[in-house]
Amino acid sequence: MIRGEVIEAAMYEAMHQAAVHLPPDVEARLRMALAEESEPLAREHLRVSLENAALAAAGRGLVCGDTGFPLFFVRAGSRTAVDGGFGAIRTAAAAATARATRDSFLRPTMVDPLTRGNPGTNLGPGMPKVELQFAGDGDGLDIVAVPKGGGSEIFGTFYRMLYPADGEKGIKRFVIDCIRDGCYAGKICPPAIVGVGIGGSSDLCMKLAKEAALLRQLGEPHPRADVAHLEQELLLAARSLGLGPMGSRGVNAVMALHIELAMTHTAALPVAVNAQCLVGRRWCAAIDAGGRIACTGTLPPRETEAHA
Amino acid sequence: MAMAASDIVDLRLPLSEAAARALPLGQMVTVSGRLFTGRSRFHMRAIEDGLVPPLDYGQVNAFFHAGPVVRNEGGVWHVVSAEPTSSIRFERYGADVVRRLGLRTLIGKTTMGPRTAAALRDVGGVYLSKIGITGNFLSQQIRRVCEVHFLEELGKTEATWVFEVERFGPFFVAMDANGGNYFEDLQCEVGQHLPGVYAQLGLGADWEYTCVSPKPELPVQRA
Repeated sequence: MIRGEVIEAAMYEAMHQAAVHLPPDVEARLRMALAEESEPLAREHLRVSLENAALAAAGRGLVCGDTGFPLFFVRAGSRTAVDGGFGAIRTAAAAATARATRDSFLRPTMVDPLTRGNPGTNLGPGMPKVELQFAGDGDGLDIVAVPKGGGSEIFGTFYRMLYPADGEKGIKRFVIDCIRDGCYAGKICPPAIVGVGIGGSSDLCMKLAKEAALLRQLGEPHPRADVAHLEQELLLAARSLGLGPMGSRGVNAVMALHIELAMTHTAALPVAVNAQCLVGRRWCAAIDAGGRIACTGTLPPRETEAHA
Repeated sequence: MAMAASDIVDLRLPLSEAAARALPLGQMVTVSGRLFTGRSRFHMRAIEDGLVPPLDYGQVNAFFHAGPVVRNEGGVWHVVSAEPTSSIRFERYGADVVRRLGLRTLIGKTTMGPRTAAALRDVGGVYLSKIGITGNFLSQQIRRVCEVHFLEELGKTEATWVFEVERFGPFFVAMDANGGNYFEDLQCEVGQHLPGVYAQLGLGADWEYTCVSPKPELPVQRA
């Protein structure tokens, strides 16, 4: 039986670590990009970002001052038991978010969309966002905390209903145009992690795009060969735009491009794009059935098709 | 290889018109002096409601587009992080704010559009864009939090903070005082690359999405 206060502690710790550390795979990919870029401005964008993150890791600030939307992705197994029921996860997420905000690891950024009123806590209808999935026959909880920055979410979210006759050409045209648009003047803070959702209903399509951007180790190819090939083709095309870090002249507009699929209507071809920015903030906390918490910057293994 | 310090020019705030007009696109700079912060709410209130913080804009005329992360310790404000925010969102009001307050320096993330470019050209001002994710460096370069306005009404993120800064940056000149825009120039280069990128993806130049709803013709507006 996993207790609510353990979940809250794990969520707080994951969100705190996400706010002050670059995930190891993201940092490695940024260093590769720095080695590759030749324009002085492109290199400065990367060098400054890496040093800025090092300051945050040393307790002097945040990886980025815009801590954005507080998101929690939670995966439970079929044998997971939560004291007080699964609703305790939502209560824990709210408490963890409020505490991280009080401790200045999260900026109070969530406001009412119409009045623009800001309670100062990052709490309110729908926030923090908790996405609960059931997968596998485990008895623990896998939590991924994501402070999802505004730049990538505001300027890097696109959806289009294509039709079967638009086919793969339509998908490619849409995705590459979204990347060009999002990278203009560094809006989505490139080098971006680009998530692409193909298929599903409209809401599922966008969820796939978001999870492709946030929940996959960088560059890990999709298990299906045709999808992995499309990922690679789009990534190579993005490198030919002439855009680099923060929209400067360069090569690394995109550091990874991940596609996720779902079955869709025989008349439809929905496509969604959601970008994550260069700091790619996320941190994981795994809770076992005994209530022990293990935090890491490396994501839990991909859900297999059998569990999906 | 890091930029040599000699490549970076330190600008004294308030910036003079002559100093602004001499800055070329792409020049890396830092700024020293006083600046004020604001975001969407500042712009909307300034133009829609005529509400601006009571500052001497002749002296404090550098507008830093940011919502800093701040912490109050024993009655003293400390800036945890001061990350520039995306200025392009403010394009609807940018030109009017520049003209009304006579601003010579805008600092933010991204760039701004043609109306703000025209206002900066008329006033003799520049837009400086951030280099990398840099909020921790910038917060260290803030020597003092001088004033805060509208904190109660707008909260910490949208309030206007006045900072005394020293060698704040670096930034680069993304819009000059002659109507030029670094990113618009670069976008022209991207446009040159696009046909090749489409061809790489097997898309002809004439490829179009299936159209399921023709656009209605709007009546022609007569002047």
